[in-house]
Amino acid sequence: MKLEVEGLTVYFPYESIYPEQVEYMRELKRALDAGGHALLEMPTGTGKTAALLSLIVSYSIHKSFKFKLLYCTRTVHEMEKTLAELRLLASHLPTPTSLLALGLSSRKNLCVNPHVLSAQSRDSVDAACRRLTASWVRSLAHDNPQVPTCPFFESYDRAASAGPDTLLLPPGVYTLGDLRSFGRSKGWCPYFLARQMIRYANVVVYSYQYLLDPKVATIISKEMQKECVVVFDEAHNIDNVCIEALSVSIRKQTLEGATRNLTQMSQEIERLKATDAGRLRAEYNRLVDGLAQRGNLAITDAWLGNPALPDDILKEAVPGNIRRAEHFLSVLRRLVQYLKSRLLTEKVETENPVNFCAAINSQAGIDQKMLKFCYDRLHSLMLTLEITNTDEFMHIQTVCDFATLVSTYARGFSIIIEPYDERMPTIPDPVLQLSCHDASLAIKPVFDRFQSVIITSGTLSPIDLYPRLLNFSPVISRSFTMSLTRDCICPMVLTRGSDQLPVSTKFDMRSDPGVVRNYGRLLLEMVAAVPDGIVCFFVSYSYMDGIVNSWNEMGILQDVMQHKLVFIETQDVVETTLALDNYRKACDCGRGAVFFSVARGKVAEGIDFDRHYGRLVIMFGVPFQYTLSRILLARLEYLRETFQIKEGDFLTFDALRQAAQCVGRVIRSKADYGMMIFADKRYSRHDKRSKLPGWILSHLHDAHLNLSTDMALHIAREFLRRMAQPYDKTGCGSKKTLLSEEDVMKMSEGAMDTY
Amino acid sequence: MELLIELSQVIIDRRPRKRQRLGWDVWPENPMKLQDVDGYIISDFSLTTNRTEQWFCVLLVPARAPQQIGFLYPDSGIAIRRSCKPFRVPTNSTQRSLSLIPATRIRTIGTEVQKLTGASSILPPSPSLPLRVEVPFIYLFLYLSSLHSDPKQNLIRYKLFLSGGRLEVGFDKNGGNKRRYKNEERFVFVPNDPRSLMKLNVEFKNIKGHKFSKDGSKQALLNLTQDPEKGTGYIFEFDNFTDRNSCRDFVGRVLGKLQSVPGRPNEQSVPEKSAGAPLPEQLSAVEMERRIKLLREDSELLRLHKQFVLSGVLTESEFWATRKTLLGEDTTRMTKQRPGFKSAMLADVRPSADGRTNKVTFSLTPEIIQQIFAEKPAVHRAFLNLVPSKMSEKDFWTKYCRAEYLNRTRNAVVAGAEAAEDEELAVFLKHDDILANEARRKIRRVDPTLDMEADEGDDYIHLPDHGILRDAQKDTAETETEVSRRTLSQDLNRHAAVVLEGRALDVELGDTRTVAEALAWSKQELLSKEKSEENVNLEKQEKVARMTELEDLQAPRNPQYASLCIKDPREYFDSQQANALRALGGTEFGTNSLDLNLSKEEVYRHLKEQISEAKSRGLRNPIIRPDTALKVFSGLSQHLSSTRFQLGKNSQESALDRIPHRTKDDLMHHWTSIQELLRHFWSSYPITTAGLYNKVQRVKDAMGQIYQKLQEIKESSQSDFRHQVSLLVQPMLQALDAAFAHYDSEQQKRTAKSGAKPNGYVR
Repeated sequence: MKLEVEGLTVYFPYESIYPEQVEYMRELKRALDAGGHALLEMPTGTGKTAALLSLIVSYSIHKSFKFKLLYCTRTVHEMEKTLAELRLLASHLPTPTSLLALGLSSRKNLCVNPHVLSAQSRDSVDAACRRLTASWVRSLAHDNPQVPTCPFFESYDRAASAGPDTLLLPPGVYTLGDLRSFGRSKGWCPYFLARQMIRYANVVVYSYQYLLDPKVATIISKEMQKECVVVFDEAHNIDNVCIEALSVSIRKQTLEGATRNLTQMSQEIERLKATDAGRLRAEYNRLVDGLAQRGNLAITDAWLGNPALPDDILKEAVPGNIRRAEHFLSVLRRLVQYLKSRLLTEKVETENPVNFCAAINSQAGIDQKMLKFCYDRLHSLMLTLEITNTDEFMHIQTVCDFATLVSTYARGFSIIIEPYDERMPTIPDPVLQLSCHDASLAIKPVFDRFQSVIITSGTLSPIDLYPRLLNFSPVISRSFTMSLTRDCICPMVLTRGSDQLPVSTKFDMRSDPGVVRNYGRLLLEMVAAVPDGIVCFFVSYSYMDGIVNSWNEMGILQDVMQHKLVFIETQDVVETTLALDNYRKACDCGRGAVFFSVARGKVAEGIDFDRHYGRLVIMFGVPFQYTLSRILLARLEYLRETFQIKEGDFLTFDALRQAAQCVGRVIRSKADYGMMIFADKRYSRHDKRSKLPGWILSHLHDAHLNLSTDMALHIAREFLRRMAQPYDKTGCGSKKTLLSEEDVMKMSEGAMDTY
Repeated sequence: MELLIELSQVIIDRRPRKRQRLGWDVWPENPMKLQDVDGYIISDFSLTTNRTEQWFCVLLVPARAPQQIGFLYPDSGIAIRRSCKPFRVPTNSTQRSLSLIPATRIRTIGTEVQKLTGASSILPPSPSLPLRVEVPFIYLFLYLSSLHSDPKQNLIRYKLFLSGGRLEVGFDKNGGNKRRYKNEERFVFVPNDPRSLMKLNVEFKNIKGHKFSKDGSKQALLNLTQDPEKGTGYIFEFDNFTDRNSCRDFVGRVLGKLQSVPGRPNEQSVPEKSAGAPLPEQLSAVEMERRIKLLREDSELLRLHKQFVLSGVLTESEFWATRKTLLGEDTTRMTKQRPGFKSAMLADVRPSADGRTNKVTFSLTPEIIQQIFAEKPAVHRAFLNLVPSKMSEKDFWTKYCRAEYLNRTRNAVVAGAEAAEDEELAVFLKHDDILANEARRKIRRVDPTLDMEADEGDDYIHLPDHGILRDAQKDTAETETEVSRRTLSQDLNRHAAVVLEGRALDVELGDTRTVAEALAWSKQELLSKEKSEENVNLEKQEKVARMTELEDLQAPRNPQYASLCIKDPREYFDSQQANALRALGGTEFGTNSLDLNLSKEEVYRHLKEQISEAKSRGLRNPIIRPDTALKVFSGLSQHLSSTRFQLGKNSQESALDRIPHRTKDDLMHHWTSIQELLRHFWSSYPITTAGLYNKVQRVKDAMGQIYQKLQEIKESSQSDFRHQVSLLVQPMLQALDAAFAHYDSEQQKRTAKSGAKPNGYVR
């Protein structure tokens, strides 16, 4: 359908539209018109992504494609979903539009060369690709046809060299799979094709890190012009992503590996001195000229960029005492030695970067400026040495990342050295962590560079916290409510088990067999009553492992399996993915299944359990962070000092947004329905509960705040029966929940009249 | 088969062990298998009803009888369901509720059965030996089995077992029960009624085993099994246990003797009945149900079936042979449904200990073994590689249980040490490499909206040592050891995956080796069936599209429509044609507009001109102008259809509609019957076998009857309709006459050829 939003014709890929979506589009359009940032919270299950995409694409058509949409998702599978929605939208656009949209991912997901793909991890795929496509390898191959190259890249390069503006990809929507099959049919490398095409694409969908992590962003996203609209979808966790992007940790293995790398490099330098001294000299001259980076690198030589943000990188010549390769290596050796000595500590140490740099200067004789240039100098050296197996040089790179970061930022970071893990004090496992506390650091360049940044999610409550955490001022900041045709969500707080004893995952209660049994009974009752899929979230992997094992021993698990199949999220991603796939199959075929998952885990982050894939979510416990973690403590301290946010408030906020996120996965549209059980007595307290997003709170009746297992079961039965009845989709009278094209038209006319 | 494996135990587990279920203390699984002692007895009998309270009855008789199904219809007078008074039948089975029909009812049913079988003459092996079923000796069991009742169709099936008589095992023929008869070769069953044909004379070497009910249970049963896999055999019920026991002891002794003699030539000598008619196809219950369903849906078919099959004109198979398409349609739609795996985790064998000795006991059943094979491919592979060649099966499973036990006690150090010593044991403890490979293969086919594996390489935060390492959300990864412990969650996931894949093999559980091989084979088959990359990609896309769509925003889709079922095709098509003609309106037929006023000379001249023209210029291409051709063609076809319609309409009006309803229905009915019969008649020529000859005879007789009836109708009809009726009957009679004529000439030829001249035949 087509609708008018304040004078803009919006193409919407469905026949009807929710009123919230119209509202959402209106706000979004205002933000785009104002050219500012926006913060929008809309409940899950109201077609946020569809509304967002159709408005921005229509807006962009209106402006005749003057700007690009950069759509950032957290995960690759969300990227696929977004592209699928985009494809649906593209089929509803007026015919002469030439929309080009594509997803971008790493080589591992895009490569079609079977030799490269046989590598296991991402890094080895990258290295294998570089081994075939690095510029020096290709020039070697030019002279000597025995040297293997990648046929896909070669033919892509031939096609691309025909001219910079040759449109290699016809307009359309390309998922990763489409890019692969396109590349395979043409014989072109899909990865470099995609890298090339993001310059011309109207919509680019990629992962958060491609914008937020300076290591990647400087390479991939540096060419994006100011007029881009950047969308961060499911952005409730964006502060954590920002923080992680600037954090480095160094362990014993890292330093050992770095030592190995240094030895290897020095051997390489000796060899080069003997055979091709000119190359080293050329590098030296370049460094004298102040070019840390070697000008225009071939696209295949580009490596991970500088870990510091582009604005903070010095634009100076490399200091003289690390220009010569062997001098630089000795500096690195000293640095590694110093870090090793720091790791030998017996007690936990916390330091700020300024002190740390001073200590390095006094004990290892490396000043701050040298540290700052570590990364660029290493990069240059590795290019000179023509190192292709970059995966093996990860360790020294980590050390250089650390050095550069620690010397660049004086605020918002802290260095924590722990000799052992808090939970296993007997096993020595020293680690030195540089952790970032300030989420606004990483995202600042994005806000500065791009005209409009939209941050949206189903759970952004309290909505005033995010601008403070990320340090920006949105022009629009709104939280939408959900108009429901019927009460299709049923949140409940379960505080007691069937024996009326309280249940909780509080530290002193969680291993109590009574609590474990009560949780088990709850699951067992629900499994027998609820059809199709049930999802359970636990507070951590270790807790889940423990409780599932005790259920197995108590025989509860066997009883559960009489009703439904059981799947478990594990640390192994492959296994979890297969388990999820099988879970869906089990729900599809009617056998029904239970999925055990972990809040803050990978599944909770981005997998939907909509429709019959999840009729009930049980959140066992409150997913607080591990409060004894030094990093968390340091961060809390920083937050209190800088933003005056209380520790307790932040922890509760963080736990409740995770819980809400887990629970919100069950509902996808208004026709869908699902129940949510918060199984912990702490949820009944007002300070915890009130942090839940409004759309859940509005359905949380007072009567459902303090339930025991049998009461919850009764409510669940009643709810399921009610939901099974036929209903009128469009809602009745003034409270319309589904609008057709005429309705929207009438609405906008009515709005005109009032003006 | 149950395998008990004992291991010396470190920790005493005091879980009580359930009593194992042993031997023959339950009723056999499938009552259909209870084939009766004699080939001529009905072994299966089922009654079905539809909503209109019409009763069908299906009788299954054993394989050696010439026919397999008989039908009873309402007018045959069976309606058992209402009147039978249910009471418990003595049985050991606790699962099924049984009811027995009182003796008076049995008598009536018995006679019904007899009437039916006698009348249709489908049961006796040869016409000269009519079957007698003596009612008092019939045990009639009605099984109200919930397994077979289909609530949707209100279909309840009853099963009937008929047997009776006296068994002689090693006793003398005079009926005395005390004296031993020295014959250890065979046992004889003599029915009490000397006229009955249910005699049985079976050699002991055909008997593979014997089972019996417990002393003191309600029935004294002895089951002599002929083929343990198919479940065939003989079941005898005795009046008291002493008789049964003496009989059982004797049989046991004889069988023991026979089986101790190895390598005895196993001649497949089946008693005298095998010389009977060729074995007809075995009809499955499904097939039968389908036929019944068809009959119920199509009243015409039902009438024909009743008329010819019941009266014996056509046999069951002959009747259905011409309607294979009707039956076939369902076969393609319905694939055989296989039972899936149970959700319970059987492979998770828990050891039991008696607490006195230092031992734990694992018990493995065939089901458990099958599940272990399916869930642990490494064990499966090891079994295939090792078992007959390197170690015995028992050793293999002992080793397996040892590994399981180590795993269970979480004794990683001991496990590691033992695995280092014993490489076969290590197979069970190590990581399963087959599973890992399989996972890698499967991950490529996974729904991309779920593919978290793709994510793994996408964010550069999770480079080694980047990001926040020690946090609550990330537990430190356990270091991989050589002997990595399988976790419960892995087992659970694997189990659920196997359950979802379903039971792919269709072998009798029992022999472990065959199960293992069948599993390997089915896996290979699966592999070869996997789709190409492109298809997978397409499929993935569709899946994603389906997932992302918001259903309730979509415009309502067109509801699926049910296909049109036409009750009376004649009426429907007539009206359709009338409509079509009306739509055409009064357009003139092209044929009328031709000018026919040319004289011969003119025509001749015209032709000549054309020929000479053709000679000089050659023929035009195309020879006929398409537009003219089309015009002529459409005109002609319109003309034809209209005439047919007019005729049909006229005849309907003039003849069928005017004659009384009764006569009309009769005529229509006869017409369909004649069509059916004629089809059979003509299709059986040329006569090559005796069966065909018989068939032709039967069909001809039936046709003769209908001929008579037609004549009657013709004569009995009132004078004012006589003409119309005779007009209608005429073509039928002609068709029949032609058939008769053909039959006569064939008959003459036959007699002439065979040379067997009847009396008074003069050349």
